[in-house]
Amino acid sequence: MDENRAAALSPVALLIEAIALGSRAALKRLYELESRRLYGIALRIVGRPEIASEVLQEAFLQVWQNAQAFSAQRGAASAWLTGIVRFRAIDAVRKIRREILVDDPTLGDAPLEPDVIEKIDAKAEAIALRRCLALLDENQRRCVVLAFVDGYSHAEIAQRLATPLGSIKSWVRRGLAALRSCLES
Amino acid sequence: MIPESRDELHTLAGEYVLGVLDAADVSKIRTAMMTNPALRDAVAFWEERLHPLSAAALPTEPPPGLWDRIAARLDGETPTRPALRLWSAQTPWRWSTAVFAAVAAALALYIALKPVPPAPSFMAVLHAPQHNQANWIAIASHRGFLVRAVEGATPPPGGRAFELWAIPPGAAIPQSIGVIPPDGVFHLDALPPSVRAGATLAISIEPPGGSPTKQPTGPVVFAGTLSEM
Repeated sequence: MDENRAAALSPVALLIEAIALGSRAALKRLYELESRRLYGIALRIVGRPEIASEVLQEAFLQVWQNAQAFSAQRGAASAWLTGIVRFRAIDAVRKIRREILVDDPTLGDAPLEPDVIEKIDAKAEAIALRRCLALLDENQRRCVVLAFVDGYSHAEIAQRLATPLGSIKSWVRRGLAALRSCLES
Repeated sequence: MIPESRDELHTLAGEYVLGVLDAADVSKIRTAMMTNPALRDAVAFWEERLHPLSAAALPTEPPPGLWDRIAARLDGETPTRPALRLWSAQTPWRWSTAVFAAVAAALALYIALKPVPPAPSFMAVLHAPQHNQANWIAIASHRGFLVRAVEGATPPPGGRAFELWAIPPGAAIPQSIGVIPPDGVFHLDALPPSVRAGATLAISIEPPGGSPTKQPTGPVVFAGTLSEM
């Protein structure tokens, strides 16, 4: 590993490297550093503590098994962790809604948070995202936020915003295209 | 279903990262990612760029005992070689030629990175006396030796420096490994002989440029023991 690469490693990335080498101490430390953040993300999506706990367990086991794949790919460490937790949380919540909440009575009850973008912190990459989200039209922005933060599917966003599914799909796509052109500029 | 056009590929990757696609599409994308670097890059782009939005979820203390449940389940699991599980535990393996080639390439990389027999790796967590919180982490393997502050380094005041020492098992005299740069990242390409299982690693505060006497002259502020992983 060369000097530049070592210097570019975040503490979280370093812990993941140690986990890839089989260190349980590093996995425990990663849990200490990241579990509140990741549990919060899971809980926001699944809404139920017992399911969020299950999601977090599975996610940490996946980190334990797949840390070496992260080393090989070399993305941003905390984004990698977030991705694992979000996908597991979304899988879990889709299963629940399929099984018991086909017509989810709670869907639509949670307030749409206009201030959600305000919660994005002030680091450089966050400032870019904030600026670019602000350029989207209101519907596109809601779609992106409901999907990413709350784990809503196309159909759930359609129900939530009382809008036909086709419009939602097109808002998502157009929102993504606009976001990318802004983020890449 | 994977589009050729760069714009459409990026939009699909964005939908995948947002999580709006159905299970069948998700599975197709995960399979395609194994052999499509452009798709992988597009997914990584969205994961990194959208990541700040995840801060909208309020950090919440997980239930007590959750770590213990995870730790108990580790006993039945060992870290899997990348050749066997490159991307996702949920991805069903399809032994197409392309996947087989990707696996073969990953296996070759794995073998290149891990000489046979694999050299042992060591790790130490260094903390301040009377404190449990890890402040520094050290990893030693055939890939080199890396010591790093866990949550960013605060260099000692007055222009002084952190110096790293190793005391091999059975030895009484610390050997200087080097002065830690102000950014808190210390790296060597090769392992010094004193850095081995059972060695104590210690960090002392020294004058700028390190101890003038080849022995620690200032207080030892962090210490830990290297153990084999």
